[in-house]
Amino acid sequence: MTRIKRPRSIRGALLAVLLPAGIGLMALAWVIHGLLLDRMSREFVENRLQDEVTFLEHQIRNVNGAIDALRTGDYFEEVFHHAFAIQTPTQTLISPTSWQSVLTPLLQSRQQGAIRLSPDGEPVDLLAFRRTFQLNGAAITVLVAEDMAALKDSQSALHTWTAIVSIALILLLAIIIWLGITLSMRPVSQLQAELKLLQAGQRSRIDGSAPQEFRPLVLQLNQLLDSLDQRLTRSREALANLSHSLKTPIAAVRQLLEDTDRPLDTDLRREMASKLGELDRQLESEMRRSRFAGPQVGKSALPVKQSRDLLWMMGRLYPDKRFELSTTLGDDDRWQIEEQDLNELIGNLLDNGGKWAQTGVELTLARHHGSLLITVADDGPGVSVGALDSLGTRGLRLDEQTPGHGLGLAIVNDIVARYAGEVTFSLAPGGGLMAAIQLPGTP
Amino acid sequence: MRLLLVEDDSLLANGLTGQLEGAGFSVDVSHTAREALVLGKQEDYRVAVLDLGLPDGNGLDVLRAWRRAGDGFPVLILTARGDWQDKVNGLKAGADDYLAKPFQTEELIARLNAIVRRSEGRGLSVVKVGGLELDENRQSLTLQDGSNHSLTGTEYRLLRCLMSRPGRVFSKEQLMEQLYNLSDSPSENVIEAYIRRLRKLVGAGAIVTRRGQGYVFDDQN
Repeated sequence: MTRIKRPRSIRGALLAVLLPAGIGLMALAWVIHGLLLDRMSREFVENRLQDEVTFLEHQIRNVNGAIDALRTGDYFEEVFHHAFAIQTPTQTLISPTSWQSVLTPLLQSRQQGAIRLSPDGEPVDLLAFRRTFQLNGAAITVLVAEDMAALKDSQSALHTWTAIVSIALILLLAIIIWLGITLSMRPVSQLQAELKLLQAGQRSRIDGSAPQEFRPLVLQLNQLLDSLDQRLTRSREALANLSHSLKTPIAAVRQLLEDTDRPLDTDLRREMASKLGELDRQLESEMRRSRFAGPQVGKSALPVKQSRDLLWMMGRLYPDKRFELSTTLGDDDRWQIEEQDLNELIGNLLDNGGKWAQTGVELTLARHHGSLLITVADDGPGVSVGALDSLGTRGLRLDEQTPGHGLGLAIVNDIVARYAGEVTFSLAPGGGLMAAIQLPGTP
Repeated sequence: MRLLLVEDDSLLANGLTGQLEGAGFSVDVSHTAREALVLGKQEDYRVAVLDLGLPDGNGLDVLRAWRRAGDGFPVLILTARGDWQDKVNGLKAGADDYLAKPFQTEELIARLNAIVRRSEGRGLSVVKVGGLELDENRQSLTLQDGSNHSLTGTEYRLLRCLMSRPGRVFSKEQLMEQLYNLSDSPSENVIEAYIRRLRKLVGAGAIVTRRGQGYVFDDQN
């Protein structure tokens, strides 16, 4: 069995559903109309015939069975458009006489009430009403019949007209459906056209006048385009900065190496080493900066799981210090922050704490009124209150003994700024440094 | 002290070999992952320096293969990437320390000495109770199904305390001594929170609550 192929376009789908449905319903209405018409006309004729039989009976009773007297009544010709037959034990009256052959067998039958007669092979289709009653001890049969063929003709003419009107309505409906679809699809075509322009590079965004159903899509797309744009600008700037700051030391070192006349003495070696150190620092800081993703749709992290991994690792790296986690979050709680960004935040804070702590570092994760809180406290010597504000300034290191680039807290500052969050440094209850980060819960 | 240096850059390898030998190590150099794999399994090294980016494979795979084969010598990994996830992965694979390139040789030597010292006297210290294995060196727990979970300090200490004597009841006060809490004084709720977290790892039936008394590690479960 071949499955019906799902139409690819909305327009196609709507047409495929609405048009056949409209045509089918119209056809059904037409058929029902025919059936009802048939039944209604038959009932109507039957009732009339019955009325006329009753009227005839009444007349016969009035003249006391003398049916010849009926003929003298002048309005019978006008009243009875139908054929009728009256049979008394002595006399049979059939009017008009041309119906005699058809009505005689009906008079003979014993059927009472409505009789439908459409004998095969004969061009007669009639509906009759027959009643037998007693008058003065004699049985009198009255029968009134109508030729249904004439009625049928007009009925079928009416039915045909209904069909014609139905077809006209269907055409109208099709036009309306097509118009409706075209009208409602117009914004989509517009969107399509805009996307084409976008692809061709003639636009950098999509107009915001999309229909309500597409507005989130357009919004999302625009956000994506903007962030792509920003990222491109940023990475170009970063690369330009990087190449600028790297080329000079490279030129200097190369020049030193190419100068064969100059011996490589200790001073020169030290100078070259410092140039290379500078290269590394620049590269490292740019690399790290370009690695931050920043707030992104569809990215989230598992803070508890990541923290446990980092705490465990710190415990391995600083085996004589304790790294603890304190949180009310569950293992499956997600934060709207890119995974690596969160790793960099927590990793750098823990590493900083680990360097300074006497006995341990404690990490606290919490969600407070929708914002995300990360706190890292150590029990080290802390810093002077005056120096708290300058923590995390790039290139500034308060420590000179502990190895590292002094970049850690600066990186934390950068990432938090990217997420429109806040970092505060204060003194921990135990006297060490406490870093508290607050990030908005939704990007 | 025999040292295995796995580094594909010959300039760096040569320079390091000289300086490491000057610091008292006897150095074997391997430039490929395949060679390193064989050397690590065949020879008896005290320590290894492993570069992660090797021409014929990932250094982490070499490290995992060593650890699977039961080679316990301490390993310091060299990485050029240096993001935290990279470091976590390295340590989870079985490394003892990492150093980001470029580095100063003095720092490398200091770190090597530190991890050698740390590894001294550490044997195979694994607590096995009822299908669970608690690795004391790595502070990690291996479950019946073979999955490995790293523990934070307090989790590890609590679990070691409970697992050291299965069937014995530990009161909350006793367990509280294993806690480390920097800011506020620890409450019994903290213990309950830790026990909940541990139960998630080892299974709800393994740590039994004795009302009014404390907790028991049930090794039958």
